[in-house]
Amino acid sequence: MERTTIIEKIKITLTHVLGHENFELTDDLTAKDVDGWDSLSHMMIITKIEEEFKITFKLRDLNKLNNMGSLISLVQSKL
Amino acid sequence: MIFNSYEFIVFFTLVFILYWFVLDKTSKTQNSLLLIASLVFFGWTDWRFLIVLIFNILFNYFLAKKIYKENKEKIKIRILWIGIIINVGVLGYYKYFNFFYENFVDVFHVFGSDLTFSPLQIIIPLGISFFTFQTLGYILDVFYEEVEPYSDILLFSTYVTFFPKILSGPIERAQKFIPQIVNKRTFNYNMAVDGLRQILWGVFAKMVIAENCAEIVNPIFNNYQNESGNTLLIGASFYAIQLYADFSGYSNMAIGVSKLFGIDLMRNFATPFFSTNISDFWRKWHMSLTTWMMDYIFTPLSFTLRRFKKLGLIFSIILTFLIVGLWHGANWTFVVFGALHGIYFIPLVLTGSMNKSSIVAKDRFLPSLVEIIKMASLFYLITLTSIFFRSKQVSDAIEYIQIIFSKSLFSYPVAFINANVFSVIFLIFIYFTIEWFHRTKSHDFEISNKPVYVRWTLYIGLFVFLILFGKSSDTFIYFQF
Repeated sequence: MERTTIIEKIKITLTHVLGHENFELTDDLTAKDVDGWDSLSHMMIITKIEEEFKITFKLRDLNKLNNMGSLISLVQSKL
Repeated sequence: MIFNSYEFIVFFTLVFILYWFVLDKTSKTQNSLLLIASLVFFGWTDWRFLIVLIFNILFNYFLAKKIYKENKEKIKIRILWIGIIINVGVLGYYKYFNFFYENFVDVFHVFGSDLTFSPLQIIIPLGISFFTFQTLGYILDVFYEEVEPYSDILLFSTYVTFFPKILSGPIERAQKFIPQIVNKRTFNYNMAVDGLRQILWGVFAKMVIAENCAEIVNPIFNNYQNESGNTLLIGASFYAIQLYADFSGYSNMAIGVSKLFGIDLMRNFATPFFSTNISDFWRKWHMSLTTWMMDYIFTPLSFTLRRFKKLGLIFSIILTFLIVGLWHGANWTFVVFGALHGIYFIPLVLTGSMNKSSIVAKDRFLPSLVEIIKMASLFYLITLTSIFFRSKQVSDAIEYIQIIFSKSLFSYPVAFINANVFSVIFLIFIYFTIEWFHRTKSHDFEISNKPVYVRWTLYIGLFVFLILFGKSSDTFIYFQF
């Protein structure tokens, strides 16, 4: 899948879970920059992404994520 | 040895002089001194405690290496589980053996057994919950590849034993602490002054606020059956404040003392009573424990249960808080304390407002009416849980609450109409006012950018309060944990 398609899908998922789109989906984006994205909504976002892309994450992979760029790469590596 | 004691002042002065003026040649000499001083500090009450501590250090140091070196995932997991079982097992033996044993015997009684409970005489090593959680977190971090194992035993031992934090935290992460002691530390005047300020604030919170609250609280809890509902409600409110001032005061002293050695410890309290919901409160209360629980209990649990959506989330939160409760000690009162906090989260999860965190009255001088109502409601929800925290048995706490909600709640609070109580209320007012104006700062008494005359007025003011109202005590509430 193209990186741009992944980004588009993640953006839709985030908007759906968080209920707003006040963020710009760049590689440097971190959860801290996005209103309402904390450790609790994080799990909901992760589950939605798994459903959307039909993939399964490992907790160890998630612990290593440090920004949106690494999340996109992780999704890409699972497809 | 506690921070606000004469023996600690002598101990500290000696270590401070050696650290900055005699053994300041290399990081090794500085760390060796810190390690020896910390072992002396820790073994001061009972040298036998050192055996448990040294075992903990060596076991986790080598186990982390073993986890890291192993290539096969299955064996890696097995080694990790050995680590978890042994760490939790040692902690469990000291803290929970009698509790489980007694309940086990009780269960058998239900089935008609005549087993009798005769508790083992176990002395709990001080700070065991704190240092066990530190090293347990370390092996988990190595397993999750968040950090590589350290191969310098001196660095690792200094991290685990560092005396300002060993008895009651903050529960530090190796990867945050160790990089600070790899190189030789040079004296930083600003950091040291900031540390002294934090110590002063901690001593004030402990000796003036917590101890004066304790004098009001203790007789009420000791004789609650004969008190009126409003006396019990006000008494419990004073206890919630006492608990906060006691532990946050201790934490500020620990962080302040550490700064005098050029080492930054993590913040443990960030004015938690200025929160408008329970989730926000826990982000600011005993933060080093909350983040630990978040990372090692809640996250793996909610990750495993993620398919169950909100139900999975609620289950994870409640289980996490039951463990938070039980972490405090082997008593059902702590379990109820944890369960109540977990239950408080349910409306937030259901309404999806869990993540809404904001600074109260941001860019404003005073809070709005809605914020005041929310903060006050939260305070009373916390107060309710603190009744369980303070009571010896769950049945005592329930009876205490029943009396609160009786007719006598509306009687005249005779017990509180006296000059002593009013002076304590006045001191609490000062305490929270200063906290209020520092709620966005790096700590509650960060006044470095204030003009000299303001700073010195505050220092002198606090000293005067210490002399006039300060009360000494030989323990802190959190020492028992």
